Amino acid sequence: MTAITARIRAIQSWQVTLGFALLALGFLVAAQLAAEGPRVRYTTQERSPLVETALGLQTQQDQLKTQILELRKQIKALEDQGQGTTTQQREANANLEGARIAAGLIPLTGTGIVFRLADSSQPVPANGNPADYAVTARDIRTVVAELWLAGAEAIAVNGERVTATTGVLDIGGTILVNSAYLAPPYQISAIGPTDMLAQLGLSQGWVDFIETRRGRFGIDVSFAEPPTVDIAAFSGSLNLRESRAVPPSPAP
Amino acid sequence: MRASLRAPRSQLAVSLVAFILGILIVGQIRSQAGDSGLGERSAQDLTLLVANLNTRNDQLRTEVSSLERQLQSLELGGRNGTSSLNQIREDLARIRAWAGLDSVAGRGIQVTISGGIAGPALEDLINELRNAGAEAIAIEDVRVVAETVVGGTAGGLSVDDTALGDPFVVRAIGNPESLVGSLTRIGGIVAQLAATYPDAAVNVEAVDRVVLPATTRDLAPSHGKPRL
Repeated sequence: MTAITARIRAIQSWQVTLGFALLALGFLVAAQLAAEGPRVRYTTQERSPLVETALGLQTQQDQLKTQILELRKQIKALEDQGQGTTTQQREANANLEGARIAAGLIPLTGTGIVFRLADSSQPVPANGNPADYAVTARDIRTVVAELWLAGAEAIAVNGERVTATTGVLDIGGTILVNSAYLAPPYQISAIGPTDMLAQLGLSQGWVDFIETRRGRFGIDVSFAEPPTVDIAAFSGSLNLRESRAVPPSPAP
Repeated sequence: MRASLRAPRSQLAVSLVAFILGILIVGQIRSQAGDSGLGERSAQDLTLLVANLNTRNDQLRTEVSSLERQLQSLELGGRNGTSSLNQIREDLARIRAWAGLDSVAGRGIQVTISGGIAGPALEDLINELRNAGAEAIAIEDVRVVAETVVGGTAGGLSVDDTALGDPFVVRAIGNPESLVGSLTRIGGIVAQLAATYPDAAVNVEAVDRVVLPATTRDLAPSHGKPRL
């Protein structure tokens, strides 16, 4: 017995440290292999190339949007150079700036609120529908609509600016805003008056949403009111293939 | 004991293990964070997603070339000293039309709804039109902008404080074939409305020219300022 104790005492501390480190290493190697497992299996199925394609296309889309924002910035800078040359030009430039802001082509900052929606962590009951426990396109649209009603003047979902042409699409639980694939959790930022939260509380639609989606299905709805909320500019296309501006009819 | 910990061999062993440990921890965290959430989707959904992203990227490429042309012509105008006023006005007209600040006309569709549907159902229809590529939408004489929300209950709907009668009309500008096709496809919004509201009738028709009014809303923000 004393021999064993003596032997344990003889183990040097660095050996103990190394032992623990190796234990942790073994655990991590195992965890890593376990995490890789499903993916390795899944490359043998036909789905994987599709996921790769989708993610590749989304990366392309992000690059195109960056390019669009950069080009718009350059165009704006050139147009602003002409500012002040003539009264007409000054007026046109001021109008252009106003139209860009109204259209959502300029990033904004101001008072507001940020909501975060995440899937429920509740276990889905045996007779339950798993889709009810995940954030849906309708949830996003409900929060956006309620925010507009509460006085919001600019909204973005995961950085995608909500404009007159913005649609929210649900493809089997995958949510697209402005045809951009959004990864959960969903962050809905809104600029507006400081009483937006109070206004939301007064809306029956909002109360119903919270009671059903959070109360019944455990959808995680949280919010923050930072001193300022930043909203990105719309980085999509001003799609006007069919539309022609109608000149205002001259006053009689 | 202290002396043995300082021994070069043990230090080397501990450093090596710590190094590998670090790499593995980072790898593990990355593999968790890099989960796109797409892994569980069906092949059919992924195909739809890919199709959507493809269409969108094509539109964005068109926008890039159009902006590049605009930039070139502005640069040329600047070098030649010619006035860029016309270009600014063109740009202004395009943005105002898109934002709903000006009246627009073009090919599109007309959807006549009678018999009463609920507000969220009308919102679904508008959302479907947007997803189908509608360039501009109006409900009766109210131009739909981002802020537009349908209020009221079935039979007594209102949009931007304008009460909707029975029937009421939704008009949209865009490629008529794709808009009609998208609304009336099997399991599409028209089929869904027919199933949910058996008493309501939804009629979709392509129109050669629809004219949509400008919004009456003031879209200038008062709480938000441009971020430079």
